[in-house]
Amino acid sequence: MRPLYGALAGAGALLLAGMSTVQAATEIEFWHAMSGALGERVDELVKKFNDSQKDYVVKAIAKGTYDEVLNGTIAAYRAKRQPEIVQSNERSFLTMVNSGAIVPTSELMAQQGHPVDASKFIAPVVSYYAIDGKLQAMPFNSSTPILFYNRDHFKAAGFDKPGATWQELEPQLDAIKAKGVSKCAMVLPGDYEWSFLENYSAVNDIPYATKRNGMDGLDTSFVFNKGKLVGQVERMKRLVSSGVMQLAGQGIIPIQLFTSGECSTIIASTASHAAVVAAAKFDWSATEIPYEQGVKPRNSVIGGAALWTLKGHTPEKYKAVAAFYDFLAKTDTQVWWHQATGYVPVTTAAYEAAKAQGYYQKNPTREIAVVQLMRGTPSDNSLGFRIGNSNQINVAIMEEVSAAFLGRKPVQQALDDAVSRGNEALRRYEQLNAGKK
Amino acid sequence: MGASDGQSESGLKRAHFREWRLPFWLLAPQLFILLLFFFIPSIRALIQAFQLTDPFGATTQWVGFQNFERLFRSNVYWSSAQVTLIFTIAQNVLTLSLALLLAFASNHILRGRGAYRTVLLLPYAIAPAIAGIMLAFLFNPRVGPVAQMLQGLRLDWDPNRNSWHALALVVMAASWKHICYNYIFLVAALMSVPQSILESAYLDGAGPIQRFLRISLPMIAPTLFFLIVINFVYGLFETFAIVDATTRGGPAGATSILVYKVYQDGFVTLDLGSSAAQSVVLMALALLLTFAQFRFVERRVNYSV
Repeated sequence: MRPLYGALAGAGALLLAGMSTVQAATEIEFWHAMSGALGERVDELVKKFNDSQKDYVVKAIAKGTYDEVLNGTIAAYRAKRQPEIVQSNERSFLTMVNSGAIVPTSELMAQQGHPVDASKFIAPVVSYYAIDGKLQAMPFNSSTPILFYNRDHFKAAGFDKPGATWQELEPQLDAIKAKGVSKCAMVLPGDYEWSFLENYSAVNDIPYATKRNGMDGLDTSFVFNKGKLVGQVERMKRLVSSGVMQLAGQGIIPIQLFTSGECSTIIASTASHAAVVAAAKFDWSATEIPYEQGVKPRNSVIGGAALWTLKGHTPEKYKAVAAFYDFLAKTDTQVWWHQATGYVPVTTAAYEAAKAQGYYQKNPTREIAVVQLMRGTPSDNSLGFRIGNSNQINVAIMEEVSAAFLGRKPVQQALDDAVSRGNEALRRYEQLNAGKK
Repeated sequence: MGASDGQSESGLKRAHFREWRLPFWLLAPQLFILLLFFFIPSIRALIQAFQLTDPFGATTQWVGFQNFERLFRSNVYWSSAQVTLIFTIAQNVLTLSLALLLAFASNHILRGRGAYRTVLLLPYAIAPAIAGIMLAFLFNPRVGPVAQMLQGLRLDWDPNRNSWHALALVVMAASWKHICYNYIFLVAALMSVPQSILESAYLDGAGPIQRFLRISLPMIAPTLFFLIVINFVYGLFETFAIVDATTRGGPAGATSILVYKVYQDGFVTLDLGSSAAQSVVLMALALLLTFAQFRFVERRVNYSV
């Protein structure tokens, strides 16, 4: 018996020795929601990091849409099998912060000896992801809506470029349709709640919800059923029912209707650059989103997502996470990411570096988003949005607004109903999270 | 009929299983699966229906009937119930009548019957989500070939702006997926109708349609009844993937049937309490429906041939 045990022990020791060399690199998982061209960029980014050093390996795993990633994360967390890093969109900010499942980024980075300075990030990003100047998540892919347009169509209709205000743009869209230049002067994006309502209120400096859009506490309520926003929805309804603005519907992505030359304009995330560059076979350009005549336009607000660190891992793993974040925040990485994807650079240094390279002279449309985000000083209405139960509220708002498009309800009533459904969800969030920020 | 002299009757009796272990082990796998995939989730749903909870499970509050109150006060929920009623009935009528027509027709074809049957069964092999996406694309008012044909016929087809068009699209998608299932059962049922009766009717001068309506149809009534029940269950509980792929419940909730709302509120918007309450309501509805169907409709079905 003895020799056998000896052999086994020897084999075990060998095995352990072998494993320890394999495990020299700490492996961490990163779940994300980037598909198509953007998913390939994420893989490239991760490869750059893995190749840059020997201690850590990041494994990027695409888990579907933002909603699906969040769902998967929740299921994994409840089963105690959560990944180290998860990408979650800006709307889920409060859900993530108050989940009790995350390690705030500032805290993590300070512990691991890579302290982050929130002020290095551009203002609209910080106001979204930081509480009291402390980053809760690592800003990753930030975007803002801009107006893409088909220059050939505008020329054919006798215009140089889209007007800066809605008052100038609307007659142009009508003319494009009336002159038969295209049957679809504008296509409504799927996330119009963000681009046509939230960003509209930020740019035109009108209140969307009380308490600085929720930044000052959970006892906020919606007020978008008053004033200019009603006019904006009236306008959208008019454009939709006259056929000037088309709805893409299921089975097709709105940006495809623009890149195929079917529709003349689209207000879409700056991250659509990747798709437009790849597919548009006509002379296109982009500009800032329209605002109301007589208003001094403010900054728009961001969309996109950030990276969250989940609780329950070993210190070794957190070291790897911190090293990865550190790599992400590097100016070189940011400049590359910005240029490869169309997302905005999240640090001011990266923006300056891209500018110094002369990148924007060659690619003027890439700067629109940054300029629009950093325009003026953010007001209470353009600081950003901190809304609990935001997915529920989004669905309710879109449902009510599209009921107005369909003519099932007058616009005012649809907005009143959206506000009351939204407020109900806010109160429920407040009830559950009493005492939290 | 007394249980005491059961030996003389045919069939399995308790007496054959004096030993309890064998039946237990024979049933155990099924019971285990039921426990895992039905009873545990059902009980959890029931508990969750009375809670308000954070998606990550960090905070949980007992709220009594608040979730149900909210549900029954909500206009959105009632309009969803209304849509569901229209949807399930339309889907049931369309599925069953088309399947019956196809089964009748393919039963009267002599050459290449097998090929027809295979083709008719193919849609069953397609995942609901794919079927939904395909129909959504074909009927997309901007790019879909079928939509363009409809527009060529001067029909202002636009499921993005017309609730009835959207509902029609979902009914079509759901039925298209389920016709094959109905078809298999109906073909089998039609094949079991005794030839002798059909032949004697033929000799009496009854045409094929008359024979079908007067003889075959009453004889396959039990199968029809079974399919009606199954179609309701399918329409009520299994169609959320199709709705998600075809219309996402839109426009403005026009195709947001109850089971899709459970999915959307639970998995998309993370309103777990409401979603649980809704699934409890649906479960009660399913029990009620099945009970009512067997209690009242089954009486009209004649099983003896």
